[in-house]
Amino acid sequence: MTNETPIVVVKDICKTFNIPGRPPVHALRNVSNHVAKGEVLVVIGPSGSGKSTFLRALNGLETIDSGSIVIDGVELTAAKANLNLLRQGVGMVFQHFNLFQHKTALENLTMPQTVVLKRSQSEADEIGRRLLDRVGIGDKDDSYPSELSGGQQQRVAIARSLAMNPKVMLFDEATSALDPETVGGVLDLMKELATEGTTMVVVTHEMGFAREAADRVTFMDGGEIIEEGTPDTVFDDPRHERTRSFLSQII
Amino acid sequence: MFDVISSTLPFLLDGLWMTFKISLITIFLGSLIGVVVGMLRTLDYAVITYPLAAYIHALRGTPFLIHLYLVYFMLPATGISWLQFEAFPAAVIALSLYTSTYVAEIVRAAIEAVPSGQTEAARSTGMTALQCMWHVVLPQAVKMMIPPMGGVYVIIIKGTSIVSVIGIAELVRAGEHATQRHPKELMVIYGMTALLYFAYCYPVLRIARWAETKFGSVRLPS
Repeated sequence: MTNETPIVVVKDICKTFNIPGRPPVHALRNVSNHVAKGEVLVVIGPSGSGKSTFLRALNGLETIDSGSIVIDGVELTAAKANLNLLRQGVGMVFQHFNLFQHKTALENLTMPQTVVLKRSQSEADEIGRRLLDRVGIGDKDDSYPSELSGGQQQRVAIARSLAMNPKVMLFDEATSALDPETVGGVLDLMKELATEGTTMVVVTHEMGFAREAADRVTFMDGGEIIEEGTPDTVFDDPRHERTRSFLSQII
Repeated sequence: MFDVISSTLPFLLDGLWMTFKISLITIFLGSLIGVVVGMLRTLDYAVITYPLAAYIHALRGTPFLIHLYLVYFMLPATGISWLQFEAFPAAVIALSLYTSTYVAEIVRAAIEAVPSGQTEAARSTGMTALQCMWHVVLPQAVKMMIPPMGGVYVIIIKGTSIVSVIGIAELVRAGEHATQRHPKELMVIYGMTALLYFAYCYPVLRIARWAETKFGSVRLPS
């Protein structure tokens, strides 16, 4: 962790989902947070606590009702025209991988590079192969997503995000849809990225990962940040009753 | 019987040629309009989607014969000079609009059937909505469009027989003329007419099937 200006600054964001015929859902209530360069922020909390909405708001997949999000000095909520440019700098890894089904593993990495960053095919290929090697599946470049296991698909998805040279990587329950035996490998990869200095915001139910890899842990419930601090203070000495009851259920 | 076949076949082939021309132009124009309308229908702007929905439902909910009469008889009656159509362009216009509504619904359904996660992943790499549509959504949607599209095309090819009512000498019309010359050979003449339709439609369905297996299945690594 460094003391530079934070890469991500979130201030008082609110989000309410209005579904006709149902009571409105306040997914985010005045949530503020920040992520410094190289920092790993892990967001934990029960289902429906707003942690995924918070993460999706960071790259504009979810619009917010009020508040502000600034990423590397650019206000996300200000001008719509900047959103595509801004998203290039924010990598996103999804629970269900969302690999492009009609592309091979390598093409999943190269297509966004050539389309968005206008890299040449050969340069994109080179970066793509290097990153597939990096995430441990260099031999699967010609495989289609349907031919890969969940763990392999998630490695491709992580590599696809890395290929865009993001300033910050977002992980939305990246291991929740994986078979138990492949969870560990993907978590190890995420830990490696963390120790290499990748700026990361991670929504997860893996408390072991949170304790080991996080610089800071934020506990959310009911759309609010209840408690935050270093992994040691949040896990070993939680101050709030809601944190305590959540941790007692999950660990 | 052989005499009947050899003497009527040239007329029937002329009719087939007319059916071929009308259906090909119609399928081309109808698909072009339909793809654009179908893609626009998936947008989130009510200003665009409501008028297009009205267009689609109005045409799909009324018989094609009425559209044909409207274009051929009623538009010229307005007296506006650019709305005066000969039989052939009138048939092509009416059929193309009719075709476009079916194509549009196929395109819209296929686009909406591509999981939203594909769009989210594409947009989160920084792709614009248009890049996402072109590189990610459409290639996957096309696979789902092929089988129903082949069906619509064949229905349109056979549906061109209706334009005989405004005097276009397509295949059915040519067959009818032949029956007037050989009133005792109805079975032979209508049989030939049906065979000629089949000879045109069957390859279309085979091509659709071929395209489905070519684009519709996952290619194995070589």
